This record gives sequence, structure tokens and C-alpha cells, in this order.
Amino acid sequence: MSRIGVFVCHCGENISRTVDVERVAAQVGKMPGVAFATDYKYMCSDPGQTLLKKTIQEQKLSHVVVAACSPRMHEKTFRKAVEAAGLNPYLCEMANIREHCSWVHEDKQEATAKAIEIVGMLVERVKKNRVLPTITVPVTKRSLVIGGGIAGIQAALDIADAGHEVVLVERDPSIGGHMAQLSETFPTLDCSQCIMTPKMVDVANHPNITLYSYSEIEQVDGYIGNFQVTIRRKARSVDEDKCTGCGVCMEKCPVKKIPNKFDCNLGMRPAIYVPFPQAVPNTPVIDRDNCIKFKTGKCGLCQKVCGPGAVDYEQEDTLIVEPVGAIVVATGFDLYTIDEKPKGSMIKGYGEFGHGKIPDVIDGMTFERLASASGPTGGKILRPSDGKEPKQIVFIQCIGSRAREKGISYCSKVCCMYTAKHTMLYHHKVHDGQAYVFFMDARTPGKAYDEFWRRSIEEEEAVYIRGMVSRLYQKGNKIVVMGSDIAVGVQVEIEADMVVLATAIQPRTGADSLAQKLGISYDKYNFYSEAHAKLRPVECATAGIYLAGACQGPKDIPDTVSQASAAAAKVMTLFAKDKLEREPIVARVKEAGCVGCFACKKVCAYGAVEEKEIRDRQGNLIKVVAYVNPGVCGGCGTCQATCPSKSVELDGYTDEQIVAMIEAL
Amino acid sequence: MIISQSTMDVDFVRKVEALSGTSVRRCFQCGKCSAGCPMATFMEHPPNRVVRLLQLGQWQRILAGRSIWYCASCETCSTRCPNKVHLASIMDALRKLSWDAEGPSKESYVQLANKLFLQNIRTYGRQYEMRLAAVFNVKSGQFLKDLMLGPKLISKGKLKMFHSKNKNMPEIEKIFTRIEEMRKKGEAL
Repeated sequence: MSRIGVFVCHCGENISRTVDVERVAAQVGKMPGVAFATDYKYMCSDPGQTLLKKTIQEQKLSHVVVAACSPRMHEKTFRKAVEAAGLNPYLCEMANIREHCSWVHEDKQEATAKAIEIVGMLVERVKKNRVLPTITVPVTKRSLVIGGGIAGIQAALDIADAGHEVVLVERDPSIGGHMAQLSETFPTLDCSQCIMTPKMVDVANHPNITLYSYSEIEQVDGYIGNFQVTIRRKARSVDEDKCTGCGVCMEKCPVKKIPNKFDCNLGMRPAIYVPFPQAVPNTPVIDRDNCIKFKTGKCGLCQKVCGPGAVDYEQEDTLIVEPVGAIVVATGFDLYTIDEKPKGSMIKGYGEFGHGKIPDVIDGMTFERLASASGPTGGKILRPSDGKEPKQIVFIQCIGSRAREKGISYCSKVCCMYTAKHTMLYHHKVHDGQAYVFFMDARTPGKAYDEFWRRSIEEEEAVYIRGMVSRLYQKGNKIVVMGSDIAVGVQVEIEADMVVLATAIQPRTGADSLAQKLGISYDKYNFYSEAHAKLRPVECATAGIYLAGACQGPKDIPDTVSQASAAAAKVMTLFAKDKLEREPIVARVKEAGCVGCFACKKVCAYGAVEEKEIRDRQGNLIKVVAYVNPGVCGGCGTCQATCPSKSVELDGYTDEQIVAMIEAL
Repeated sequence: MIISQSTMDVDFVRKVEALSGTSVRRCFQCGKCSAGCPMATFMEHPPNRVVRLLQLGQWQRILAGRSIWYCASCETCSTRCPNKVHLASIMDALRKLSWDAEGPSKESYVQLANKLFLQNIRTYGRQYEMRLAAVFNVKSGQFLKDLMLGPKLISKGKLKMFHSKNKNMPEIEKIFTRIEEMRKKGEAL
């Protein structure tokens, strides 16, 4: 006979305001199997937990039900307390009489009656709980970092410095990401290349970091501590081991006029190229779509001139499998474009700004390349259309961002600051020019950020105009900007030479398909979701996967670096243990009943169901049954619901227990 | 309103800044000055908008209005400004600069009154109210303005029918010529 203890919590007044807790305790105390029932003001507090522990020992309780808040809130707390009192923690259950009862009801009589029923159900369920041993799994102390921007680089360096191996995977031919494209960085105006490239070199030289550039994630299997990651190394057509990075191939390549994506298509590159001179690794890649050799079979000049013989036209994509224990996702962002979007797309373009067809309307990243000393103009700010210096330049903030109608309702966070920076860069380079900024709000929360913005106005003579631009159109070689100054309440018209749009930050294209491979959740914009917005901001809900940088939401460099280091710290915390403990709430197969249809295998979201052969003593195969790998099982119970022969059961949620709960009603 | 480097009269704004000893660019348009201004309800451009127009170099819009003349120089705005923009000084500077500025206030006759006032001083060495009132009414086109106050003021001896000249007219003329010379040299406004 079980001796169940029931502890009813007041939760201050949260529960006791609408539920007569004393009556609940008295009523439940009369139920068969219940040996003890009481109520207490705060069960989760230290005296509350002490009461729980003392009662378990004094009353020799066999099971415990705590009627309080949601198990999401305090299940761990009470199971720990129960374990400390000498009981198996999985013999303790929580009855949720707060979120499910007191918070959603007003009538005390009815709420109390419902609370009694809820607690009664849990009493019936806990009676059939089994003693469950904790599952331990080994940890592979290697980490995968996806994305070689500043977030990925920082996370990789931190983990590698702690002495763990890191596999860094970058989609592009070079690491560096968006930060490598920037001219100068706010709020100190230090040159991005100067602070970025040393870190890139550190990555290349670090003994603990394996860098796979020009590679993508193909498949992710396994679970926390034991992931198997398949990486596709795209054919570079140049042998990384042989190439010395001399650059002769690039000089000799006859195709020279391919717009360079790194320079926002303003600069040109050959078909065999490194995206920028400071690239890491400094190994060229052949752009097969534009290479004459790949298009017509002729040419082959680069192979002829290559001294070490590194050029290899026969190279093919290779797949490699890396075992890792933790994954840091740092895939970064893409910039919104104002061009026409496909029909039915959630995101819309800006017809009123010419859908991006006016050549001198550029985005912020293009401006960065124009202002950059290593950019296509050598740091001169020139119009893309005729190469003249713009004397009147208009910056427009919040393009795409904060525009629900365009499909994006969030603030992109960095535009206010980088636009202020742009006005300064412009003022430093074009002394007789005038910069205007149309803005809705200036959002500058950050250390020395507001001062920086004010400096652009007070010292660098930018004219800020509060109000959104309604329309842009080409008039001769000028762009007419029609806006309004809402502080004065008048319409404003500026004939500009160049317009720079501070376009929104969006997740990388394909962020959703990577999330599906990783099994992590993402929001409607495809930003990856953290486990808790405030208290677990760098962890995914999927154990062992961490987030860094703008793939989680718009972020500036300081925030990105902080989050990357935080993700690295989380990985190190995981690697500090040799074995991982995890909740034993997993599915078990009753082999006698299993017919081996593997319907469970098809529905399992975690890939936890395996095939197991059952043989007799002579080794003859009797049947093949399902086997749930307890290390992988997520405890969702889908297999239990699917199994046609009722041969899978989830511990703590068996059919028997569910029926008992229903019968208690 | 068309904004360009040519419509933004930066030189005028610099003059305002030099005269008032305060920066116009510092203002970030929080509106606190207008919130506390006792005269704001009478102004077509409340104090914050006066600064905003200055930031855009649109001083003609300010001087064409009556805002600067309604300012009572109580300095509530300057006292409370979070950015140390001394708006009362800016108003003062604008009033001074309006003297020579083209297209001054049509809304307000303050400028006219001031001019006539000084003319009278120069002619008589002291104020001749009857003439001031009469010329003001004629020039401003409000012939009957405050006419009924006349008899009352005369009966109380506040309004003299005939003028009395100052004895030291040459001395007074000296003051005026000196200031005019200083203005020519740019030493005074």
C-alpha cells in the first residue's frame, strides 16, 4: 500500500486567493493511499522544502504530490528535495493548481472543487510511478561552430583556448563574415579590418581549431554530448594543402569582370578568386559558373601558371563526418533588399523607393564598401552611376524595419548607430558635402552610443530630420527625396546626389533548413529561438546547441561578441563533466507485444528508435523489434500514441496511469 | 519646404549662435521648452520649433512670425533645458538680428513700434507719445486703435498734446551716430 504525501501550496496569495487550500488538503487527505496532506504558504521556500523532507522521513512516505504551480516552474526543485530526503526523485509529481486553476478562475467554490480533482488525478498517477534510475551519457569534448563571422570566430577561439577541439564550418571561401566588409566600427571608429583580421589569423593558426571554409552542414545526428555532423566540403578546385596563396592564378585569369559579392557587386573579381586580400584561408576558389574551363573545356590557364600545381579541375564535393559534443550556431544575417518580392511573400519591397532600380540608391553595406580603404573605390565615396562625388547625401533609417506592412515589425537595432557613423565617415571624406538623415526614432542604448549619435549632429554637422520618407524618384541625375519634418510639421524635399538606405537585418537565407537539420526552433522571421528570452538567452531548447550573434536576432558587434563568449562558456560547462546526467522520462518497448511495424520509428522526432533483433539460444532470428535509445529519446510520447499494438510506454505517462487519472475524475 | 545647402542659411545660424552664446545643434527636440513656456499658446511656432527651424537654417520662417516677440524672456526654457540650450538668449539674438534682416515680421508691429520709438528719441531727445501713437496707427493701418484711451490719458496728464525737446540734442545725436558707425564696422548690431 502506498503512503502518499500531498503538499498544497498557497503560493503567497496566488493560489489561496481563489482556492480554499485547507479544504483541498483535508479532502485529498481522505483519499485511499494518501497518508498525509497539509498546506503551506510557500512550498518552494527553504522552510517549505524542509517541511517536505521532514515529513517524508517522519511519515515514511512512498510517493509525493506537490500541488502548486506548473511543473515547468518547480518540478526540478521539488524532485531535488525529495531526492535529498532519500526517495527516488521520479516518485514526486506536481499538481498544477495555479496556472491551470487559481489564475484562470474567479469563483472560489468551483476553483476549489477543480483543485481537488486535479490533485486527486495526480495522486492516482503517482501511485503507479516507477523508481527510475538517472541516465548517464558520455560527452565528446569537441565542439562544432557553424559560421565564421565575428560570432563564430569568437566562440571558436574561446572554446579552443580552453583546450577543447573546435570544428569551424564556414559557407563562404573565407571566414570574416559581415564584419570583414565594414569600413569602421561604432562607437570608436576603429577600422574593422584592423580588429578583425588578427582574429581571423588566430583561427587559422590555432592548434585546436579545424577550419572548413567553403563548406556546409549536410546532416546532424545524435544528441547532446554525442552529435555526428556530416559536413559537405564544396569543391574548391584548388588544393588547400598545395596552394601557397601567391595569387598568380588570379592575375592570369582571363575572366576579370565578375561582380564581387564581398564588395556588394561594386568591385570586380576574376573567376578564380579570394573574396578579399586578407582572406583566411588565403586559398582561391574557382567560381565554376563563370570559369571558361568549366563552361567550354578550354583555357586552363590557372593550372598552367600554378607553380605548386594546386589547381585541380577534377575536384569534387566531399562529405566528412565529425563527432562533436556541442554545437554553436552563429550563422549571422542577411540584409533586406527593397526590390520586388515574389508574390505571396511575407516580406514586401518598396515600390515607392523604385524597388531598388535607381542606381544611386544604395544600402548601408554598399556604403561601407565605398568608405572602406580596401574597397572598390579605395575609400572614396563615389556614386555608382557616374563615379562623381555626392555633395548632398540622404540617409534613410528604418527601411524594412519597424514596418509591419512590409512584413517586418522588429527594430534592426544597429541602423541608428551605423547611420550616425556613415554621416561621420561622409563628413570626414567630403568636406563640402552635406548629409541628411531621415529617422523615426534614434535608438542608441549602449555604452557611449548616444554620445556618438549626438556627435554626428553637433560636431559632424549631419542634419537629422525626424520623419519618414514617403517617396524617392530620379530627376535628371538627382534623386528627389520627399519627406517631412514632423518637429516643424512641414513637408521636406531634398534633391540628393546619393541615397543610403539603412535596410533591415534578416536571418540568413536558408536559416530555416539549417534549423530543421539541427532540430532547433525558429520564429516566423527564421531567427533562431533561445530557450528562455531572459534567463537562457544563448541556449536552444534542444540540449547541446547554443546560439551566438545575429542568427538569434539583430545584434551589434559588442553584443555578438558577448553572446559568442557566453555560448563558449556554456560549451565549456558542458565539457567540464565526463558524463552527462539526463532525465529518465523516456519510452520503453515491451518486446513481447512489438510486431516490428516501426510506425514509432517513422514518427520519432529525435531519431531514437532503432531496430533490434531477437534471437533464440541457437541464434535463429525470432523477430525484429523496436528499441528506444534512452540517450536520444526526448520523452515526447509520440511513439506511445502511434503504436498500434500498445507496446511502447513512456515512463510516468503510461496508458495505465492516464486511465487511472481519468477514472479519478 | 525644399532643403539643400543653399536653403539652409548656416551663416545666419552661426550669427545666432555667436550672439546667444549657445549651440543650436545641441537641441534634440524633446519639447520641454514648449511644455513649460507660458506664452507658447500664443505663438505659431512654439519654442522647440523655433530651434528646429534654426537647425534647418529656415530663419525667415521664424522672423515672419510673432513667436520671438511673444517671448517674455522669463527663461523657464533655458532653466529647464536638458541640453543647456539657452533658448531665451536665442530669442533675444533673433530679435536683434531681425532689425536688419530682410522680410521681417509682418505679423507683429513690434519692429515698427521700436523703430518709431527710436526715431522719436532721435528727433526730440525724449519720447513724444502722441506722435508715436499717431504715426504707429497710420503706418500700421489701424487708424482707430486704442483711440478711446486718449482722453483718459490726456486728462490724467499721461499724454502730452505738444512735445518738449531735450536741451542736449547734439549729445543725443552723437550717441546715435556713434552706434551707427559701430554698426557699419560690425562692432555692434
